[in-house]
Amino acid sequence: MSDLETYRAKAAAWLESVAPTFGREARKGLSEADDLALGRRYQKAKFDAGYAGINWPTEYGGQGLTHLEKVTFDAEEMKHGFPNFYFGISLGMPVPVLMQFGSDKEFVKERVLKALQGEEIWCQLFSEPSGGSDLAGLRTRAEPDGNGWKINGQKVWTSWAHYSDYGVIVVRTDPTVPKHKGLTYFWVDMKAPGVTVRPIKLAGGDSHVNEVFFDDVKISDDHRMSPVGGGFAVAITTLMIERYVATDSAGFGPHLDLFVDLAKDTLLGGKPAIEDGRIRQQIARNYAMRSGLDSINVRARLMMQAGMIPGAEGSLNKLVAVRSRQKLSELAIDLQGTDGFAFDAHASQKEDWASSWINAPTGRIAGGSDETLLNTIAEKVLGLPQDHRPDKGIPFNQIPA
Amino acid sequence: MTILYDEGQQAIATESRRVLEARVSKDDLLPLLESVGDYHRSFWDTAKEQGWTALALPEAQGGLGLGLVELGLIAHQAGRSLSGAPFLTSNFGAAKAIEIYGTDAQKARWLPGLASGEAIGAIAFAAGPDALPGQPDVTLTGDLLVGVASAVSGGLAADIAIVLANGPGMPALTLVELAGVERSAVASFDNSRCLADLHFAGTPAETLAVGHAARDAALHVLALQAVVTAHEQTGGAEVLMEIARDYALTRRAFGQPIGAFQSVKHRIAELYGLVELARANCIHAAAREGQPDFITAAAAARLSATEAYDTAARDCIQIHGGIGVTWELGLHLHMRRARSLAIEQGSSLFWEDVLVDRLAGEAA
Repeated sequence: MSDLETYRAKAAAWLESVAPTFGREARKGLSEADDLALGRRYQKAKFDAGYAGINWPTEYGGQGLTHLEKVTFDAEEMKHGFPNFYFGISLGMPVPVLMQFGSDKEFVKERVLKALQGEEIWCQLFSEPSGGSDLAGLRTRAEPDGNGWKINGQKVWTSWAHYSDYGVIVVRTDPTVPKHKGLTYFWVDMKAPGVTVRPIKLAGGDSHVNEVFFDDVKISDDHRMSPVGGGFAVAITTLMIERYVATDSAGFGPHLDLFVDLAKDTLLGGKPAIEDGRIRQQIARNYAMRSGLDSINVRARLMMQAGMIPGAEGSLNKLVAVRSRQKLSELAIDLQGTDGFAFDAHASQKEDWASSWINAPTGRIAGGSDETLLNTIAEKVLGLPQDHRPDKGIPFNQIPA
Repeated sequence: MTILYDEGQQAIATESRRVLEARVSKDDLLPLLESVGDYHRSFWDTAKEQGWTALALPEAQGGLGLGLVELGLIAHQAGRSLSGAPFLTSNFGAAKAIEIYGTDAQKARWLPGLASGEAIGAIAFAAGPDALPGQPDVTLTGDLLVGVASAVSGGLAADIAIVLANGPGMPALTLVELAGVERSAVASFDNSRCLADLHFAGTPAETLAVGHAARDAALHVLALQAVVTAHEQTGGAEVLMEIARDYALTRRAFGQPIGAFQSVKHRIAELYGLVELARANCIHAAAREGQPDFITAAAAARLSATEAYDTAARDCIQIHGGIGVTWELGLHLHMRRARSLAIEQGSSLFWEDVLVDRLAGEAA
């Protein structure tokens, strides 16, 4: 057995051992507050067992291992339905960026340790009402204020802001230069005076994203994590960290086996739906798509293991998997007919077709819309030209609104 | 088997691409479209000279002892360059049928010739829409074949064929020598495939397998060929994606390269996705030869590769506009090939059923 397989087996055994305490079954019927409390205990248990910050430096409380162990652990962890999503953003992007760009090392170390143990949560304040895909078009501004800065404006779609202790934020510090050049990156205390968090209820009924308002929020200059005007580069670094996260060829929806089972158990015109050509075609097409993604991901892992850089095809995962999940979920509801009306807003997206369907649009928009991902493939991978951008090179404050 | 190509495998890909790009031109291929029953001889000479015919056959019978992964790499390049004959795949299929299901005498008689390429093999399983018919059009009585095997790829040039026949109460997989068998060329939209109807009239045949075993053997041979063809389709799709990309970078309209319009660039990005999914499925399938899930992996490779090549042919021509539909530019060579490869080794409809039977646990 390779070292990695040994690692996988050990991790799987540990996860198995804590699943009764923290897993899918233990969470059934919990209020969100209780679920979060359970999540914090689970995160602490991971930390104590050596599974938090797997690929982070040991000086910050991490394990000093590689992406491979991290992805291996994540793939095993996904099987049990643990309450870990409260920490997904926090430990996925803001805290790693804090480690890389935070100036006060003692402060950083303290925050990282608390985040790894589930005591503190960080959010990422990027998108705004006027800029989602067009991140550099953001309008929240920071003006010099004594020795520090004063922030005014609004962020939106901020995941878990309502539970967050801190956040990283990109703001405009100079509106007189072209849009990418006038941005600066800070961290903020989410409990500071002038910060207001309002949850947004999403189409599926859940409220993990928020609007965040900043009214004369004062911060000192040691909150700054980029040169003044150099915030866009740090923001891009943040987004690049996402490249090696664990993927799911089911698009974070149900496994194809569940659809096959449904088709076997459902009668269509008096015959099992699994015998219906229309249903068979969709099963076959979905299988081919998923097996392609699985093979891409296995190859990426083998390449990393061999010290190579995986190919750009990994960028297809979310684009291909989530939109397929959306259509397959519609078909699963079709198959059930009037039985498909039954709806439980708290059902798991990985197990329930209606829940998968109603939350699928979020998956196709968050973390890069389908259209943005296609642009990225076209421009960065295939070398096609950028879109026509009328705001290019124009000072931000002269771009027609 | 790992799905990362090693240095030797990468060298096979690089070298075969270099050779084919130097020796195959659309100027050779276009006239073949209007000539029934001919094929691109220099392609086949190259395949023989480079040892591609021997690549995946056993060393004991003149082969090089490599496998589906290596042959797939050659097929990928052949797909990029539009191979001028179907024999790379059909020879491999016929040779594997003999290697796996034949006697020592049959192996000694045929494999060295198939490995050197001096002999040409063909596969005759399909009857119209049915890639593996329960009741084939050809009947085996005693050891004599009667009936017509229709539109067999490579059939016009082949020395032997592996024929799925209707035996006494059960199917039979047979090996037939074609010398003396009457053949009629089939005029097609892709004429270099050397399609022929084979008219068996009391033709002597040697039986390789009967009953369920015959059907399983035929499916296995078909799956082996399907993985080779899927690589060829992926190569074709890949080169079309590149041609579309290059054209979109140079062709200008409304004051900018047409590749700056999202309707065009997204179309090409989608092709990239189809090509990479097909490639990943091909690599996986080739590496699964001999494993219990090989047929499933082959089906997935076949489905995604057929979709990739057909879509790339459609969209690449569309992105070119008027010039794309001219005879001279030759994109129609790919459009034609995408369809002929989609039918050879069983259409998507066939492989969808094969795949779902397995996923639903209903396969025999």
